[in-house]
Amino acid sequence: MLWTDKYRPQELSEVVGNKKEIKIITDWVNAWKSNDPQIPLLLVGPPGIGKTTLAQIIAKEFSEYIELNASDKRSQDVIKSTIGESSSSRSLFGDEYKLIILDEVDGIHGTNDRGGVKAIGEIIKSSKHPMILIANDFYSKRLQSIKPKCQVIKMKKSRWNSISALLRKIAQAEGVEVEPAALKEIAVKSQGDVRSAINTLQALADKDHTLNVSDVEGMVTKDTRSDIFNAITSVLKSKTPAHVKEALWIEEDPTLVMEYIAENIPREYKKKDEIKKAYDYISKADIFFGRTNVSRNYGYWKYATDFMGIGVSNSKHETYKKFTKIQTPTIFSTMSRNRGKRNLRDGIADKMTEKMHVSRAIAISMFPYLEIMFRNDELAWEISDFLELEDTEIKRFRSKKIPAKVVKKMEKQKAQMRVEERDRRAEELKNQMMNVIPEVEEPKEDALPFEIPGIGTSNAEEESVEEIEKETIEEPLPDLDEEIIEEKVEEKAEEKKEKKKTDKQVSLFSF
Amino acid sequence: MSGPWVEKYRPQKLEDIVGQKQIVARLQKYVGEESMPNLMFTGPAGVGKTTTALALVKSILGEYWRQNFLELNASDARGIDTVRDRIKNFCRLKPVGAPFRIIFLDEVDNMTKDAQHALRREMEMYTKTASFILSCNYSSKIIDPIQSRCAIFRFAPIKAEEIKERLQFICENEGFETTDAGLDTIVYFAEGDMRKAVNVLQAAASEGEAITEDAIYEVVSKAKPQDIGNMINKALMGDFMAARNILRDTMVLQGTSGEDMVTQIYQDVSKRVIEGKMDANIYMDLIEAIAECDFRIREGANPRIQLEALLTQFL
Repeated sequence: MLWTDKYRPQELSEVVGNKKEIKIITDWVNAWKSNDPQIPLLLVGPPGIGKTTLAQIIAKEFSEYIELNASDKRSQDVIKSTIGESSSSRSLFGDEYKLIILDEVDGIHGTNDRGGVKAIGEIIKSSKHPMILIANDFYSKRLQSIKPKCQVIKMKKSRWNSISALLRKIAQAEGVEVEPAALKEIAVKSQGDVRSAINTLQALADKDHTLNVSDVEGMVTKDTRSDIFNAITSVLKSKTPAHVKEALWIEEDPTLVMEYIAENIPREYKKKDEIKKAYDYISKADIFFGRTNVSRNYGYWKYATDFMGIGVSNSKHETYKKFTKIQTPTIFSTMSRNRGKRNLRDGIADKMTEKMHVSRAIAISMFPYLEIMFRNDELAWEISDFLELEDTEIKRFRSKKIPAKVVKKMEKQKAQMRVEERDRRAEELKNQMMNVIPEVEEPKEDALPFEIPGIGTSNAEEESVEEIEKETIEEPLPDLDEEIIEEKVEEKAEEKKEKKKTDKQVSLFSF
Repeated sequence: MSGPWVEKYRPQKLEDIVGQKQIVARLQKYVGEESMPNLMFTGPAGVGKTTTALALVKSILGEYWRQNFLELNASDARGIDTVRDRIKNFCRLKPVGAPFRIIFLDEVDNMTKDAQHALRREMEMYTKTASFILSCNYSSKIIDPIQSRCAIFRFAPIKAEEIKERLQFICENEGFETTDAGLDTIVYFAEGDMRKAVNVLQAAASEGEAITEDAIYEVVSKAKPQDIGNMINKALMGDFMAARNILRDTMVLQGTSGEDMVTQIYQDVSKRVIEGKMDANIYMDLIEAIAECDFRIREGANPRIQLEALLTQFL
């Protein structure tokens, strides 16, 4: 059983917080009981602070009650047929009043519930029964015509210490040990939402283990998605700056909130100038997120929040009278849908960063050229070999496999070049040694070890060979200009060198 | 036979570096010294920041450059910990056979700010044993404390004739035919970016034909994201959602960067006005928006958001 149900207050005195408000409600109930009709109550406040609970406690004071909530289809007819009659006709014998509870009044939307608000207005006017209306959003347009006809009670969020006290009672009753600090943590994180605090406690509770702060710390106590959706709705629907500001007062990454607002601008706003203006504010908000990142001055966030909040809200000429479903940004689904392709892409890019001294972004920007180069079988092989690409990675650039004939030919060429390379290097080492210590006569020895690259720690053999070769040229011939060196390299590549070189020279160089 | 030409023809020595003569001249003074200040190379892509850094490192550290050199790429998932650990492990050891060690950090502007602050502390801690060369596209995205610890070198786009000369050198070396107009076309599209120029050249050469103007146009049009024109059409027709979807798909799937997107959009719109398909007044309005967007991308946090905002200006 959910603890929120198990420990739902049964008496007004058990309700956490809002003592003043409860006093008003008690007076209202007592007035009805002493046959003194009152105007309906409108309970307004954020979710999870006990509005519905209050209504249900009050319901017990009356003989009967009818409850309608957001899940009901609230067309004019439904409201009229279920409440309309029972509200205007009282039992002939009756002191018995029927309590009418209307939950989530601000959830009525124009297109789906045509005339819903108007119907409520009429019922309020004609009702001879006590009515309690419940809403989350004090500033909602739908409440505008209703508010003047009701006694409005603004319910406040509960303080963390009263929530903490309640949690302690529940924990005791359940036989769960909880450190006071952990209780506080849960209470604070719930942001005044008693229901979510109790749910969190139940989720974490473990009879064999004392709950401590570290158990609670990583826990996100509240599903903030509903917060985000409320905030976005306010930005898009409201034109009241105070309301928008308050709605954006949520504990959520503001850049995520910006994504949500941006996503939904063209879904809500239909005039071009509105979309332009609104998106320009999004762009400005992003600039200040950028500046925040650079300066780490989080004070800039407030400007960003106003740009994407009031700025966007104020970009519409007037509120659209339609129901818009708030969409999760499609960029997220686009990204997850393409995860496989992106992983392949990033894998190739990482190989390029290693071999080509480029960042991942630069590597990816080279892909289109690689696609063209890969149409050439031999070049495709060369580049794949250079980057050590796997077959699946080669497929990213060309659909056909590199023909076996080409692979064979290229592999043979490569082997040939390795031999030449090795010979050339050995020759150069010899030349260098002659230059550095010309007076020393090295006795000739044979058997050159095949793995010459003993110098660097690099695993990129090809590259290290080339680097070393360049270095060795540079040292003895520092004054040569570019062209001569390039020529020399060319010459050497073409010439066949004698195979046996001295072992000593190599080891000397690579100590 | 050696794979990508951008690597094959990367200059290995400071004096071979194309363009950036003043920078190279100043850097050469550090060769043979006992220490070197921390350096920051800033400038657009493909102008020789990494090449210069590698060449400088080899000149200064000599034959033991590999042992005394650490290169960190932006794609090393560079959180604070990576920066700290890798730099710490590297700096802990004394330089071997060289006066000091050098750490090259690429695209520092892509590091998180926390990582940058961590980096700053590392820079202070190891001043005696190591020097840093940092590279970035926009120095504005580098936190002030790091900027003030570095000698900053601004790399300008490479001049047209210098790029052309280099391309000619490559062509001669590889031994294939080219036309003057062909090379000019590459230079035009490269916009001072040597890497791009060499890539276009190799892509064109790989088709086995001579490097003519037409061959280059073909490569360039094949290489650019195909949907840009389509995206702009949708936006001009007022279908913002469709245009936005194309933008997102292109950026996510092809990984096209914000700057590349702006350039592509600019080129597409330019083509329209040149071909007489767009009114000059509309064109100028759009150019203002594109120019502003280009600027905002540098200032902002999320290039895609800025581009989405740009698309609304086409409505």
